[in-house]
Parts: sequence; structure tokens; C-alpha cells
Amino acid sequence: MKRLLISTEFKHLCREKVTFIIVIFSAVLAILAFFNGHLFSETQSKVVKTALQSQQDSITTAATQLPERLSTTEPVNWWQDRYDLRAQAFYVMLNYATKPPLAQSPIAIGQADVLPYYFRMLVQEKQQVVQQYDYVHPLNLLLGQFDLSFVLIYLLPLLIIGICFNALSNEQHNGQLRLFLLQGGSASQLLTIQILLRGAIILIPFLLISNLLFVLVRPHIDPAVLLSFTTIALLYCCFWLALCAWVNSRGKSAATNAAILVTCWLSFVVVLPALINTFITHANPTPSRMQYLDSFRAHTDEAKKAAEKTLAQFFQDHPELANANGSRSDFATKKIATISAVEQAMQELDVQYHQIQQAQLDKVMWLKYLSVATLTHSMLVELSGNGLSRHTAFMSQVQMHHQALKSFFAKEIVKANQNGDFSPCKGCNARPTITDLSTLPQFDKHFSTPNVSFTPLFWLILLSMLLIYSTFKNVCTLTRPQATGRRGGHID
Amino acid sequence: MFKLTLEKEWLDAKRQGQLWWLCLIASLLLLLACTTGWQSYQSYQNDAKEVAQQEQKRWLNQGEKGPHSAAHYGIYVIKPALPFIAIDGGLQAFQGNIVRLEAHTRNDGLFRTIQDNLPIARFGSLTPAFVLQVLLPLLILLIGYPMFAAEKEQGTLKQTLASGVHPMQLFVAKCCVLFAIAFALLLPVMIYLFAISFEQGRVTTLVSRSAGLAGVYIGYVGLWSIVTVAISCLLQSTRRSLIVLLTLWAFSTLLVPKLAMNYSAAAHPLDSSQAFQSRLKREVYTEQRELALARFKQSLLQDYGVNSTNELPFDYAGARLQFGEQYADAIFDRLFGERLEQLQAQSNSYFLASLLSPMVAVQSLSMAFSASDFHHHQHFLAQAEQHRRMMQRVLNHNQRDNAHKRHGRYVANLELWQQIPKFEYHPPAFKALAHHYRVNWVGLILWLMTALLLGAIAVRKLTKEPLR
Repeated sequence: MKRLLISTEFKHLCREKVTFIIVIFSAVLAILAFFNGHLFSETQSKVVKTALQSQQDSITTAATQLPERLSTTEPVNWWQDRYDLRAQAFYVMLNYATKPPLAQSPIAIGQADVLPYYFRMLVQEKQQVVQQYDYVHPLNLLLGQFDLSFVLIYLLPLLIIGICFNALSNEQHNGQLRLFLLQGGSASQLLTIQILLRGAIILIPFLLISNLLFVLVRPHIDPAVLLSFTTIALLYCCFWLALCAWVNSRGKSAATNAAILVTCWLSFVVVLPALINTFITHANPTPSRMQYLDSFRAHTDEAKKAAEKTLAQFFQDHPELANANGSRSDFATKKIATISAVEQAMQELDVQYHQIQQAQLDKVMWLKYLSVATLTHSMLVELSGNGLSRHTAFMSQVQMHHQALKSFFAKEIVKANQNGDFSPCKGCNARPTITDLSTLPQFDKHFSTPNVSFTPLFWLILLSMLLIYSTFKNVCTLTRPQATGRRGGHID
Repeated sequence: MFKLTLEKEWLDAKRQGQLWWLCLIASLLLLLACTTGWQSYQSYQNDAKEVAQQEQKRWLNQGEKGPHSAAHYGIYVIKPALPFIAIDGGLQAFQGNIVRLEAHTRNDGLFRTIQDNLPIARFGSLTPAFVLQVLLPLLILLIGYPMFAAEKEQGTLKQTLASGVHPMQLFVAKCCVLFAIAFALLLPVMIYLFAISFEQGRVTTLVSRSAGLAGVYIGYVGLWSIVTVAISCLLQSTRRSLIVLLTLWAFSTLLVPKLAMNYSAAAHPLDSSQAFQSRLKREVYTEQRELALARFKQSLLQDYGVNSTNELPFDYAGARLQFGEQYADAIFDRLFGERLEQLQAQSNSYFLASLLSPMVAVQSLSMAFSASDFHHHQHFLAQAEQHRRMMQRVLNHNQRDNAHKRHGRYVANLELWQQIPKFEYHPPAFKALAHHYRVNWVGLILWLMTALLLGAIAVRKLTKEPLR
């Protein structure tokens, strides 16, 4: 009976033109989404490679041109001299902190188009460093990327609804259900087969093509990641299939089923996420960046006005640099001292930002369970390496690197100043104070990325199970002889 | 007869169970969206005013220093917002609304709000524009899909037509009812628009923008009402009518805008900021610049018939700084111009999608009337850059004309800082930027014409209905 049902249903689906349209559509969407995500990641990879290459080139060029610089008698502006520590620290250094996209990045671009993925490091206030960003058309950010997560979260449920909304109701409407039951068939079996087959028509092309493309185009991808992606996609679609089954089992007309399912889709995928986002941003509003800027300016002015005090504080914090410095502190040391003072003064605000983001994250942790779309999105974004976890780890590493550079230059500049390298004689060039640029601290790319939590999958499983249980109960009620007559009549 | 038909249709619509709760949900969402939109606008505007004042105060109270030090100290300018961003925030959160104006450098906007948001923000926020552009059409089609199709299924359509109602009247009555329901939701937004226009004082600018915004949304609602009723009339069952309308909606609001923008970005790629910045450095600080500076010095010496810059009747350093600024400005104009061309090509390419999706047309026009779109932002950036150049000119000329008169280091004071006027930015009248949105207007008008054509076909089919 089961085989007969499957083959009949399969033949029935094959007869319908819309089935082919949906299969082709699902495949085309997967291809488009994959390549769009892939192109995006490739662009970012190229930028990262170019940045690192320019960093390497600057080291090589400095090494080859050193003899020329040592022999020059022409006047050299210290702020343009690549062999001057001060110029390197504040103006000419090519030192990058980068976050290259992972092989699985095309799964979900997430915030990767918004958040910075490379920084050109200079010795300046870290508040200025971290505000860099890659310039793209703002409309592109507003509309977001057409990636696999978009297809999975927004479009596949619509396709599932489009093909499943009349699963049992068609048979009820034609009166075939009664005939089928009289022949000893099971309505729940029929519904299960209908829903699973229809779901498979959408899911199989999507998953097959996207996985195949990953293996072919991004061969470095970890199979475990692909398995996770497939599991998430399957469970998310399972929920929608279960929902379709449940709505169908209520015995309403096909049009009513479609309207209910579309309303559910709209609620879960469009309205609830927007509501959650609005709630979070208004419950824990991020402090105004304009006010932040205002404080930054005020603190910078204060630190500059109290330059001597700031410098004294700096040497108090770094006594190792103060030993032989005496009273002769140069411009560069004062500048670094001011930078440190401003960073310290801004720390309170930075902590405030961090706390508010943490409070928002805490709320999202719970509120995301209200919508299967937000739940799935959060897992996919983290899995692709474009989520907040990896970005936070990257930003911590950037700050550590910034600190390392600042300490390096502070120490070396004080030393060079003590040696009189910056003004060996009146009117002559400063001595080269950094001859090998490879000695500069380099960014450590191996920042830790926390593991993706798959706990939300259990919520998806639970919801699907509840829907399936309720569906079977509804189908039992629906197929009771009196109910079939009454409700079937109502449908017709 | 038309009045009777209208009453009948209104009664039918009222009897639909889903009408009331759909309208209720939409109203609540719209109310919430308007409230949060207004709050965001107020807080943005207050911060912008306060910080701009502080910044101006800082500029004036920076104390005595060399004009060039003041040029490096610079000033931050903030883009003010029109009250329309409470309705359509557009790209406000996606572009830096603060610009640092300083010597030697032309900066991009700073602090994009979206950078501080969590990934969930990419699902979008509940704004009035979102409700009107995305949810309202869905409400219209969920109410309107059975209008003709259900009557056909029940067999009451033939009876209605046999009673002497003209098919055109019946069609128009259904469209009117659907439009009236949607318009009822639009009405509070329109009242708000006109209220703020009169309250803000700048009546002529704001009223024309309000009227434009209201007109666009009325057109959009009308368009969806006609299309919904026509599809319901053209198709035989409620099921098909719903599926076709939903497919149309999904294509129009979900697929086309995203695909169009992704295509535009791929077709007109931009250099990364890293590449752009290094190109700027490479092209500004070149040997040609050094040669140009040497030529400039030589020509001055010749013009004034002196042998050394110390003998010039003005401070050479000030003149040199201004020459350097002008030299760099020409390169900035070229490089930023090239980038802007690419960005505009992306915008234009995206705007072409108005022909495929009415939502693209409406979204673009709505942002334009709200002054929160890309072109308005570019206008602000251009004004800020003009201000920066004026600042540099005044400061450098001051040094040129005065520094040689003093012995020792020349410092300027409040008198000079006051010569730089406060940066006051007012978004331009819509007319000034209207040429950018021609495709959107054409798209919207074509969509309205298509809807009317579809309506005409539906009426024609309806005329033949009793004969079947």
C-alpha cells in the first residue's frame, strides 16, 4: 500500500507542470545564492591578500632601499621617511590586521558586509582604528546579500507552502479521500507521504547543488561544516513541512490553508524578527555615536592641553621608559602619551558600549526562540564564520595587536630619543631608527573562534515533533466516519 | 446603482472574518512603527544639534595656535535629518552621517549605525516604510484575493451580473472598497506628514516632499488594489488567485530588489577602501607634486622679482599650503568622482529594476522624498567638502597674509576662528535632485498603467461572464 501510495503520488506530482517549475526554481536559487556568496567571499579574500602583499612589499622595499637611504645627503622629511620610527608609528606604516573569510562563508554573509574585516594599523587612538570600514553602496547593505541562508530562510518555506498547502485538502475536495479510506488506506500515511515527497522535491535539489558546489568550488571546506549546514537546513524545512501537515490536517479548504500558512510565514520570517530587532534596539539602545565622538574630542583636547601632566602620567605608568629620559621628551613620545591618556579616558564609554551590546545579545539569546527564522539565521551566521563570535575574537586580537604596536613604538622611540637619533646634529637628517620592518609586531591571524552552539536545533526538533503529534491527532479526528462526512461536507 | 454595488461590496468585505484582525494587526504594527520612528528621529536630531553646537564651541575656543594647526584640528560636521526619517529612515543607518573636515584629507562619513547592531538587524526594523512597502500590499492581497474568485466558486457572480450591475461598476466598486481599507491605514501616516510640514516652519520645502511621499504611497496602494482585484477576476479559483498574487508579491518585494542590487554591485564593482586609500596616497604625494610645488615657488620668485621666499611680501608657507590643498583637491575630485560614478552606476542599475518591481520604484522614491537616500547623502558630503575647502582657504590665506609680519611663530586667535562660518546644512529642494529618479517615476507609472490594463482585461472578461 505504502509503495503504491508513493508511486501514485509521485506520478501525480510529475504530471503537474508546477512541480518542474519548483524543482528548477529551487536548483536555480541554490546556484545563484552560492555563487553570489562565493563572489562576495572571494572579493574579501582578494582584499585581504592585497593588503598582506602590500605589507610584505613594504618590508622588502625597505630592505632593498636601505643602502640608498644610508648614503643620502639630501634632506629627508622625517614624517615621510620609512626608516624613521616616528613616521612608521604615525604615518607610513603598512601593517594590517585581517580577518579572511572562511571556506564556508558563502553559507551566510550575515554582518560580513558591514563589519570591518581588515584594519590598517597605525599608532593612534584605538577608537579611531576600529572605526574603519570598507566602503560599499549603502543600498547594498540595506537590501543584504542573496546568499544560501536567505534562500533557505525566506524562499524555501514559501516554496514548501506553495507545493504543500493543498496536500490532503485536494483529496477531500474531490471526494477521493473517502474512497481511499473505504479501501482501507490511512489518511495519516497519505498525508505523510504527500508532505515528505513534496518537501523532497524542493529540498533535494537545493541541498545537492549547494553541497556539490561547495565541494567543487571551495575544496577546503570541512565536511563537518557541510554536514551541519545540511542538518540545519533539513530541520528548518522539517518544521515548515510539519506546519504544512498540521494546517492541512485541520480540514479547511486549500485557499484557507494557503492563507494561514502565508500568515505563519509572514509572522515567523518577516514580522517577528523585525519586532524582536525593534524591541532590542529600543529596550537597550546603543548610546549615540555622536555623543561618543563628542567625548572623544573633549578628552583629546583635555589630554593635549595638559600635555606635560599627560606625559608625566605616561612615564608613571611606564617607568621602564622614564629612566634616562630626563626632561627631554620629543613630540612622538608626547603623542603616544596623549593617545594612551585618551584611550584611558574613553575606556568607560567603551565598556558601556560593550555592556549594552552584551545586554542586547542576552535578550537575543532568548527572543530568537520566538521565531524559527531568527533561530536558524543565528546558527547559519555563526557556522559560516560571519557571526559576532568570530568578529569579537578578531576585534580582541586587533586591540591586542594595537597595544603591542603602541608599546613597541613607545619603547623604541624613547630609546632612539635618548640616543639622539632624531636630531644627531643641527640641520641634518635623523638617523634611520628602524631598518628592518619585519621586526615590527605582526598580527596573529590565529584568533580563536568559539564553537557554534547547536542547542537551538533541539527547539526546532521539539516544535516539529509537537506539530507532527498534533497533526496525527487531527487526522484521526478528521477520518472518523462521522467527522469525514461532516467536515468533508463542510470542505466541499 | 454604483452606490448600491459599493454598499454590497463593503458589506461583503466586512463579513470576511480575516478583514478585522488583519487590519487590527496592521494598525498596531503601523502604530508601533510610527512611535519608534518618531523616537529615533527625535533622539537623532537632539544629539545632532547638541554635538554640532559643542563642536562649534570647541572650534571657537581652541585657543591661540597657528592657522595650520587649526586646520589639522578640524571640525566634525553632522548631517541633520528631516522629520520624514520617522517614516522612512532609508539609508540613514547604513552610511556615516558624521564627517571630519581637516587639512590635506577628504574623509568619508564616520560611524555607520548598522555597525553597532547585532546580526538580527539584517532582518530589518519595523519602520512605517517597511509596513507600507512590504506588509500593506500583503494585507491588500490577503483581503482581496477572494473578491471575484470566491463569488465565481459560489456561483453568485453570475447572479450579481444578471441583476443588471455593469461589470465595470462591479470591478470599480471592489477596487474602491479594497483601496479604502488600505487607505484607512495610510491616512494616519499622511496626517502625520502634513502636520510636521506645517509645524517645522519650512512649509514650502516640507509640504512638497510630504505631498510627493503621500502621492507615491497612494499610487502604490491603488496599484496593488487594482492588481489584486484583477487577478481575482481573471482566475477561476480562490486558490489560484492567492498563489498568483503571493508569487507576485514575493517576486516584487523579496527577490527582485535583492537580486537587482547584488547584480548592480557585481556589474559596477568598487575598489576596496584599502585600494582606494592607497591610490589616493600614491596619486597625491608624487614626484609630480614636488615638481609642481617647485614650479609654484619659482613662479612666485619670478613674479615678485626676488631671490628667496623670505623676501616675498607674504608668508610663503601659507601660500604653499594653499597650493598643496588645491593640487590635492584636483586629485580628490578625480578619484572621488570616479568612485561616485561607479556608485551612481550601481544606483541607476538598481533603479532600472523599478520596471520589474513596483516596490523598487516606491522604495527609491520614498527614500528620496524623505531625504534619506544615497543622492541626498552625496549632496551632504559635497557640501561638507565645499566647507572644508573654504576652511582651508581662509586659514591658509590668513597665514599667507599675516605670518610674515610677526617675528617668531605666528598664532591666530578667535578673530580668525570666527571668520569660518558654522556649517549649516539644509537638504535641497526635491526638484534639485529630481532628475536622479526619472526611472523610478517611469517604473511606477508603467506599473499603474499595467494594472489599469489588467483591470480592463478583467472587466472585458467579466462582461462575457454571464454568457458562459
